[in-house]
Amino acid sequence: MRALLATEFYKLIKQSRTYYALAAIFVIEGVVLFSAYYQGAGIIDIVLSNLKDTFYFEGNLLNGNLVTYFILNSLWFHVPLILIIIMSGLLTTEYKDKTLQMVMMQPVKKWQYILSKYIVAIVFTTCVVFVLALTSFLLSYALFGKGDLIVYVNGLTFFEHDDALLRLVYAFIVGAVSMVFFSVVSVTLAVIFKEAMKTWIIAAFFLILSNILLKVDFGSELLNKGLYVKLNDTWQYFFTFEIPWNTIYTNVALLIAYTLFTMGVGVYVFQKKDIG
Amino acid sequence: MIQRLILIVLCISSISSLAQEQDEDLLRIKERLDTVSAFKADLKLDVDISFINMPQKKATVQFEKGKPISFSSEDFALIPKRGLDFSFQELFEYPFITVDRGMETVEGNKLKVVNIIPTDKKADFSIATLYLDLKAEQIAISEISTKKDGIYTLLLDYSTSESVLPTKVEVQFEMERIRIPLNFMGKDIDVDRKKMREEEVKTGKIFLTLDYKTISY
Repeated sequence: MRALLATEFYKLIKQSRTYYALAAIFVIEGVVLFSAYYQGAGIIDIVLSNLKDTFYFEGNLLNGNLVTYFILNSLWFHVPLILIIIMSGLLTTEYKDKTLQMVMMQPVKKWQYILSKYIVAIVFTTCVVFVLALTSFLLSYALFGKGDLIVYVNGLTFFEHDDALLRLVYAFIVGAVSMVFFSVVSVTLAVIFKEAMKTWIIAAFFLILSNILLKVDFGSELLNKGLYVKLNDTWQYFFTFEIPWNTIYTNVALLIAYTLFTMGVGVYVFQKKDIG
Repeated sequence: MIQRLILIVLCISSISSLAQEQDEDLLRIKERLDTVSAFKADLKLDVDISFINMPQKKATVQFEKGKPISFSSEDFALIPKRGLDFSFQELFEYPFITVDRGMETVEGNKLKVVNIIPTDKKADFSIATLYLDLKAEQIAISEISTKKDGIYTLLLDYSTSESVLPTKVEVQFEMERIRIPLNFMGKDIDVDRKKMREEEVKTGKIFLTLDYKTISY
């Protein structure tokens, strides 16, 4: 298993698309930083224009915390989309290049092989989110400095710097769980569909559908709280004034359960399916 | 006919007797406030507005007679534009007349109610109602109807009956519901748009606690 994992990591590192995708994530980060630098003050003005009649503002709201929050919001769509593309490639390239048959000719158990793909997907996704978080904090604080964070979640909410930093860190951690879910779904879709293009389209569709369904009321408390689409915004709960810890714990536990179930389905299908 | 004329004359004279040029008690309190030429205080702000969540904020406030009040804060603070003029210099800036509205009991305190009506168009308020504590010579409540910013009310609390400046102030004001491009700054799944439309104008409250560092007379 260890050798399989090492090989899978090696393959991932050697894939050029991994670097294209990573570069894409950092380009998004750069664009957010650039636009915040040049347009951030204008955005803040729009947000607070109504309040300007009633209040004086003392202090700077365009700061590292707000810019990091903007980057964090790429977890809604951009980051999972890129991760989906990279992670599905872990398996679809093996089908395409027929290397899968070669591997299967070795004394390798099918379930161990596919499990190693999942583990690599999970570790890599976590690393990507970690690097995204780290670079966001470093660059945002270096360019924009510290200050209070303002967000619009059920009203305008202000967080002091230390509180904001902690909430952003928590949000990245829980956001990573959501990203892992999408990566695992992507690998499972690759198991089912084999072809790269088909897998990308279906995985992207899955992501879009998940985002749309997040805003749909299913008319049932159970579905509204327990369906996977309702769990992918859990990282945003850290920006409500009182953090709903119990909801977050439940949602994260459910999301991990969904992730494990999806992995289980993938392992089962791969085990049963003809690799040809 | 003569009886009717007498009645009209009596009515006019009774109304005009209510509208005094300037109330003596108010002038006495104004004189006391005028003795403050400058002050510097640490300010704690607690916001109570339904659509704003904000932790307690700290700022430093500085006042110098004849100059606009100034603030400084190490972190971000929302400071109300209205209600921080504890010296009431804005109220007495232009000529005014007063109307004695009699005595009223507010929370067990007997207060004299006086209306201030500016006689100069430049004044940015149309009418102000002051509740005066005659014993302590302090303004306990002020309700000011501005020409542009709606009505705002100040509830002033003083540390002692000798204090000229308040140590706790509750500012109540009207403000428009904030409009933000939804989807712009985060999770909007729980935004109740219908409720938002219904609540165009909101009443907000700000609680100020002042710790005076220097007061110059």
